[in-house]
Amino acid sequence: MSGENVNKPGLLPVLFVVSLSVTAGLAEAHGLKALVTVEGTSLVGSAHLTPRRPLRHATVTVTGTDGNVLATTTTDDAGHFRIEAKRRVDHRIIVDGGDGHVATYTIRADELPDSLFLSPPTPLVQAGEGSLPALSAPGTDWRTFIDQSIARQIRPLREQIDAYQEKIWWHDVLGGIGYILGLGGLAFGLSRRRRRTDASPSTVTRRNDP
Amino acid sequence: MAHIPDGVLSAPVLMAGAAVSLAGCAYGLWRLEAERIPQAALFAAVLFVAALVHFPAGPSSVHLILSGLTGVLLGWAAFPAILVALLLQAVLFGFGGLVVLGVNVMSVALSAVLCRALFLAVARSGNHRQTVMAAGLAGGIGVVLTALLVSLALALSGQAFATAAKLVVLTHIPVAVIESIFSAAVIGLLLRVKPEFPGLTLVGGKRE
Repeated sequence: MSGENVNKPGLLPVLFVVSLSVTAGLAEAHGLKALVTVEGTSLVGSAHLTPRRPLRHATVTVTGTDGNVLATTTTDDAGHFRIEAKRRVDHRIIVDGGDGHVATYTIRADELPDSLFLSPPTPLVQAGEGSLPALSAPGTDWRTFIDQSIARQIRPLREQIDAYQEKIWWHDVLGGIGYILGLGGLAFGLSRRRRRTDASPSTVTRRNDP
Repeated sequence: MAHIPDGVLSAPVLMAGAAVSLAGCAYGLWRLEAERIPQAALFAAVLFVAALVHFPAGPSSVHLILSGLTGVLLGWAAFPAILVALLLQAVLFGFGGLVVLGVNVMSVALSAVLCRALFLAVARSGNHRQTVMAAGLAGGIGVVLTALLVSLALALSGQAFATAAKLVVLTHIPVAVIESIFSAAVIGLLLRVKPEFPGLTLVGGKRE
């Protein structure tokens, strides 16, 4: 190939990588994440855009496993929302940012306290709408209290794990680039050595690009 | 979308894909000159990063594939470069399965090689402008070809071809447009700044 430039693959690919990394950051910036924990009979959650910006006044829809809408609400100024769970079923929380970004989070039935009724609700519960007997069973209020306090304490941990996952993502990207460049360097070194041993008896004859 | 997960495709399709990719990689490595290994490695890194940038499109999301540009710049070396990029994406990020790697490599790399042929056919005797247009054409067609090959793999495995193919091809039309412009810009820049760039020396009446 042509002269001195062949050994320098050029700055351009490096520039591509850099520019793509920047766009990757922007695309990531538009990621929407929702985090929901159970506190007593409430589903307490927050929605934020990935670099820790709260998502304000977004629609939150809660559906059951069958797709029925159980509740709807909107996030407050800090991106938080709270929804009462009325039945002990899988809850699917869908946060819609309104601009094409949707985040979902699932709370499994066994994360909810035993005091809630199992699905489907008995006709009795639906009849007496105003008075939900969530805490009516004796001896369950202390259990609810423990659930609530544990949930409160675990919450920052879950948020930390969430942030940590984002960090790992970037480490993996850099690690992958490192693997590729290392592999390329290895292949280059090996082919160089092979060529040196090939070249010793006669002149170097390389295959030409047809 | 070049990332088909495990457990979707049937065994004959998987084996055919693996065979094609293996042969392509072997041929690509045999043709790859030592001086071009760093270039291939750097471009593999570009591919690896490019596919991590997801854009929301309809019900799912799409990402850059860069099969056309890879083909234009690397030729047959696209096979090993794409193999490395897709392997790392599968291992590190779970994009696509490991068993299905052969089919995924085939759908990207085969369209890359075809785009290289198309690019050379159009640009061989052309001037600067025609070469840039050929690069844009290759960039766009590369995406479409990849989407078609993915649809074909799905169809041969007994999935509903019509809906799958329509969805894959439709969601990739904006990607094809973006990559077409991107490829044209990259090749245009390279031709102006570095006309002796390996892979471009065959066009514009320089050699052959």
